[in-house]
Amino acid sequence: MSEFIDSLIKISPKSLKISDDKVAVELADKKKLLKVCEKIKRKFDILFMLVVVDRPPNFELNYIFSKYEGKDTFILRTIIKHEDTIDSITKIFPSADWEEREAYDLFGIKFEGHHNLKRILLPEDWPGHPLRKDFVITDEVKNWTGLDLKF
Amino acid sequence: MEGKGIELNIGPVHPATHGVLKLVADIEADTVKNAEVEIGFLHRGKEKTAELRYFNSYFPIVDKLDYVGALNWEILWASTVEKAMNIETNERVKYIRTIMAEMQRIMSHLVYIGAFGQDLGNLTFFVWALRERELLMDIVEEISGGRLAPMYNRVGGVFYDFTDGIVEKIDSALLRIEEKVKKEYKAMTYENSLFMMRSKGIGIMSQKIIKDNGVTGPNMRAGGIKRDLRKDEPYLAYDKVDFDIITEEESDVYARFMVRIREILESIKIIRQLLKSIPEGDVKISTPWIMKVPPGYTFVRHEMSKGEGAMFLVTDGGLKPYRLKIRSPSFYSLQALPLILEGCKVADAFAITASIDPVMGEVDR
Repeated sequence: MSEFIDSLIKISPKSLKISDDKVAVELADKKKLLKVCEKIKRKFDILFMLVVVDRPPNFELNYIFSKYEGKDTFILRTIIKHEDTIDSITKIFPSADWEEREAYDLFGIKFEGHHNLKRILLPEDWPGHPLRKDFVITDEVKNWTGLDLKF
Repeated sequence: MEGKGIELNIGPVHPATHGVLKLVADIEADTVKNAEVEIGFLHRGKEKTAELRYFNSYFPIVDKLDYVGALNWEILWASTVEKAMNIETNERVKYIRTIMAEMQRIMSHLVYIGAFGQDLGNLTFFVWALRERELLMDIVEEISGGRLAPMYNRVGGVFYDFTDGIVEKIDSALLRIEEKVKKEYKAMTYENSLFMMRSKGIGIMSQKIIKDNGVTGPNMRAGGIKRDLRKDEPYLAYDKVDFDIITEEESDVYARFMVRIREILESIKIIRQLLKSIPEGDVKISTPWIMKVPPGYTFVRHEMSKGEGAMFLVTDGGLKPYRLKIRSPSFYSLQALPLILEGCKVADAFAITASIDPVMGEVDR
């Protein structure tokens, strides 16, 4: 496993480095995400989960990859600004489909190239993105009835 | 019928769907051309709630994630916080948790079997499966005081020790369930020609669909992939027991059903081994009810009754989690549902939906 991480870092030493907590590999240049993911795909089968952590003014995206043989997992971490967009990895890891929709729904991160980026857990006209740290319960949220939805 | 088909809304309160799952199906004649899954009707903001609660006060919330597999999720949450705090539990706690997790797995699979029978229009089967489940529910009630949401675990152990004479009660309950599964269930379902006609050869989930969508658990094992976290990444006391990973090859509705039936027997095997060798000791170590967890990232995954469930906990050294992400196995199985519904008959669509065992509580979180 550590060999794989070393080989990955060797390929692009500028954009990748081992994170301070030593569990994840950090990606500095988010434009390289798809390239790195293609390399990860050779060793890992699925995106196991996508964990977004809101640390204002940044979002921290933890991509956890897993495979169907053995117990290896691999965490790729990248940090983006609140207003930034990021490439969708659904073309490489199709299992990212609903995870990215969820991240869009609860945090408002826009994934470029996602084929069906719309809300998944909350109603389409819900005001705001509730898992952000700056989310406040406004009158609009309190008085939301869902009656404006067209069926 | 030539021309345009119709759009059929199934759910979210349709009696034949599980919980509040909504399917929007494009139908031509009697064939589903295309289906879309809509979820979120049971969204209660559990990940947000985690940020507002103390670590020990989050257990009642975890209970309602998968409401037919509550103990599994409780144990996962307890293990996550214990790992984050670097606490090692007693051997006895590990054994008790493993026994409880396996009993919960049997209960969860029994609900699956019952609900599946109901979806095929066989209500007898629903009543039968719940009858057997009741035996274990009584045992869980005697140990923990709760039934559906037992609230049995805490950080550092469990609340109560096994009561006197519970081992014999578990033994006799298992004996009865084993006998029922091997005889009555066999006649009613898996060797019943009507049941086979309804379930064989439909809803085939190829290995490509499984791997593309991150499907895990019994649904994956029905497709011939031999993987089980209990074996591949042993946690609790699973490294001390001997059991097999159940796989089937066909990956159709019948195979997914069979995997569950055989897993019940496998779980019975596990519990019997553990009951024989359960060590003595305390069932909890003294930790404060409200405590600080050192900052960092913690990632733990367990084999739930529905697949690989995981929790990713981000802490900042405070009294409450900074962020908690829950991976629900049903979420990924549902992601694959439209692909296996394509081209099936409307009547089969209910059987296929039931066969992947979605529990909306954990999907919507």
